[in-house]
Amino acid sequence: MGFGRYVTARVLWAAVVSLIIVTVTFLLLAAAPNPAVQRAATQAALQGGDPAAAAERVRELRGLNQPLHVRYLDYIQSVYTLDWGWSQSRSQPVMEAVTQALYYTVQYSVPWTILTIILGPLVGVYSAANMYSWKDHAATAFAFFGYAIPNFFFGIILLLVFGVWLEVIPIVYDTGVPVFSVENAIQLAVPVFVLVTGSIGAVMRVSRNESAEFQNADFMKTAKAKGVSPLRAYAYHVMRPTLVPLSTTLVGQLLALFIGSSLLVEVVFGIPGLGRLTYEALLAQDTNLVLGTTLFFTFVAVIGNLLEDIVFTVLDPRISYDDR
Amino acid sequence: MATEKPERFDQVDWNDLSRSGRFDLSVNALGMLATAIPLVLLGLYEWQFLGRRTATFEFVGLERNLETIDYFFVFTLLLFVWFLVLPLLQNPRMTRYYWEEFKRNRPAVVSLVWLGIVFVGGLLGPLLVSAPQQDLLVAYQPPVFTSVVDTTPATCVGEVIEGRCHGTWQHPFGTTQGGKDVFTMIIYGMTVTMQIAFITTTIVAAIGISFGTLSAYAGGWVDEVMMRFVDIILSFPTFLMFLLILYIYGAGLGMFIVVFSILGWGGTARYVRSKSLSISEEEFIQASRISGASTYRVIRGHVVPNVASSIITQLTLLIPGFLLAEAQLAFLGIGDSSVPSWGQLISAGRSDLSFAPWIVLAPGIVLFLTILAFNFLGDALLDALNPEAEAENG
Repeated sequence: MGFGRYVTARVLWAAVVSLIIVTVTFLLLAAAPNPAVQRAATQAALQGGDPAAAAERVRELRGLNQPLHVRYLDYIQSVYTLDWGWSQSRSQPVMEAVTQALYYTVQYSVPWTILTIILGPLVGVYSAANMYSWKDHAATAFAFFGYAIPNFFFGIILLLVFGVWLEVIPIVYDTGVPVFSVENAIQLAVPVFVLVTGSIGAVMRVSRNESAEFQNADFMKTAKAKGVSPLRAYAYHVMRPTLVPLSTTLVGQLLALFIGSSLLVEVVFGIPGLGRLTYEALLAQDTNLVLGTTLFFTFVAVIGNLLEDIVFTVLDPRISYDDR
Repeated sequence: MATEKPERFDQVDWNDLSRSGRFDLSVNALGMLATAIPLVLLGLYEWQFLGRRTATFEFVGLERNLETIDYFFVFTLLLFVWFLVLPLLQNPRMTRYYWEEFKRNRPAVVSLVWLGIVFVGGLLGPLLVSAPQQDLLVAYQPPVFTSVVDTTPATCVGEVIEGRCHGTWQHPFGTTQGGKDVFTMIIYGMTVTMQIAFITTTIVAAIGISFGTLSAYAGGWVDEVMMRFVDIILSFPTFLMFLLILYIYGAGLGMFIVVFSILGWGGTARYVRSKSLSISEEEFIQASRISGASTYRVIRGHVVPNVASSIITQLTLLIPGFLLAEAQLAFLGIGDSSVPSWGQLISAGRSDLSFAPWIVLAPGIVLFLTILAFNFLGDALLDALNPEAEAENG
């Protein structure tokens, strides 16, 4: 199998996976009573009307009285044409709400991802180079600490210490400041720090253990014998092979964290991003918006995994396409 | 299996070893049956004959009621005792060896002690300590050895010295805004934590091991299809799916456990598959095949036990993720708010953070320590059970 065919097969597979997930969401929704219908019925009953008739009217309005397969095809079509419906709680199209929220999510996700990807392997390789010294132990302790402390709890504590007691950072997120300004950097510093400590630990551990293997490899001995400076030797001969196994786990882990943590961190710090949007949609019982944000996260996860696999095969020519 | 292993060949009781029929039960299985059957009967009795509000043990005059989740918890505990603790006792030599290996990792020993405390506290705590009571008079008591400004608590239980209320041993970790004792709530949270840890792990292990070995042994297109299925399971965003289910149907702790374990076994299945593929190449497997062992017996008697020791590590490292997810959901306050978990307590104390930080700090630190302990334990088990991995990973 050539590279082109591998990519095609992989893209098709991603499409199948996303279709299956979308189908599951449809089945979950279809099997449950629609909150909008229930609301209409309750309202009608309260106002002395006929709840059954009101429910039927809403059902008809939303096309819920059609047979299941018609609704399913309709659903699939609107999901993939990005026609995600109207958000009642925000009085705007779901797609618009998602894009608006994304603006704030990107502001802290980009620095967070860049810091994790750059610092994680660097510290990992550094601690492998100084294995069992106090530096290694300190880095390991930090990795475990970051890995084990729940992000939201850490965020609350930092907010208490720096926001309430020391008053260095604002407690309430200010959406009014420009993106590239000192104020914005200050208010995003703590959320980014919390997220980085949470994600960097795993990256550090993997790169430390992987690079330990290459440190005493023959090519490293040759490089040292030739008189290559340690910095260059580590950068070229240890870092590069380390990044290959790392990249298999990195994207998946970052994505899993992204989905779970962005929700929590945004709620804790009051950032009006995607996580907050999901949370508020859940509270407001806004089905379209809940579905929209869920689907958005799902698509991000599917596409992320797809890119990871493709990049992995490009990076490492030893992998044959047939194995995967 | 023989329970007492003779040291020498000529003393081997072959009659004992040749009991290899499918329905010959080991001591462990017999013990499991003997204890599980009463449990199932009790469950049936409650389900069929007792009203929803009647306490399970009313017929012996106890107030304690068992929920569905408690039955599963007890069941997994029985599995744990008969198939993990008892075998360790049956093989003292191996146990000593594991212990020697394990002991070298000091943080792991501390972690084990901590998890032991959480386990015992979760198991016995709710039986010994009565549930936390709302009492507005003793709201916002500070923890012992600390003090707050006199105006924070409604009435100070301890001494008031120079206008500061000091904590007492009556409320070692202080009290909440409702006057509930934080320490008691943490103990009740231990039960929830242990239920999540044990039940999810058991379900994940059961599905993962059977799926993985089956896939490895079926081979061919069956294997291909099964592994593709695992791919799908792995790419499911579990947290979001749970949010969606929670939103549509509403969900308690039981639903949480079901969803997270049903979507969480992908990694285990993959791991088991690759492990059992490599084990089935081993010579002792070929030897037992040549001696006429059936596939079932090879899998049950050789593959699963060999895989089991190495997936214990993998499972231990899965638990923190589940605990974290539960805490996150409880913190968001969109789950079942009647489950007395640590995340719930953190969420409850959040609004009083600036003047009563102990309500958040105590459960948060306990949660942090527990997650840390599971991670250390997993690392140490990896080294103790899998000497090869240690050599590879340095």
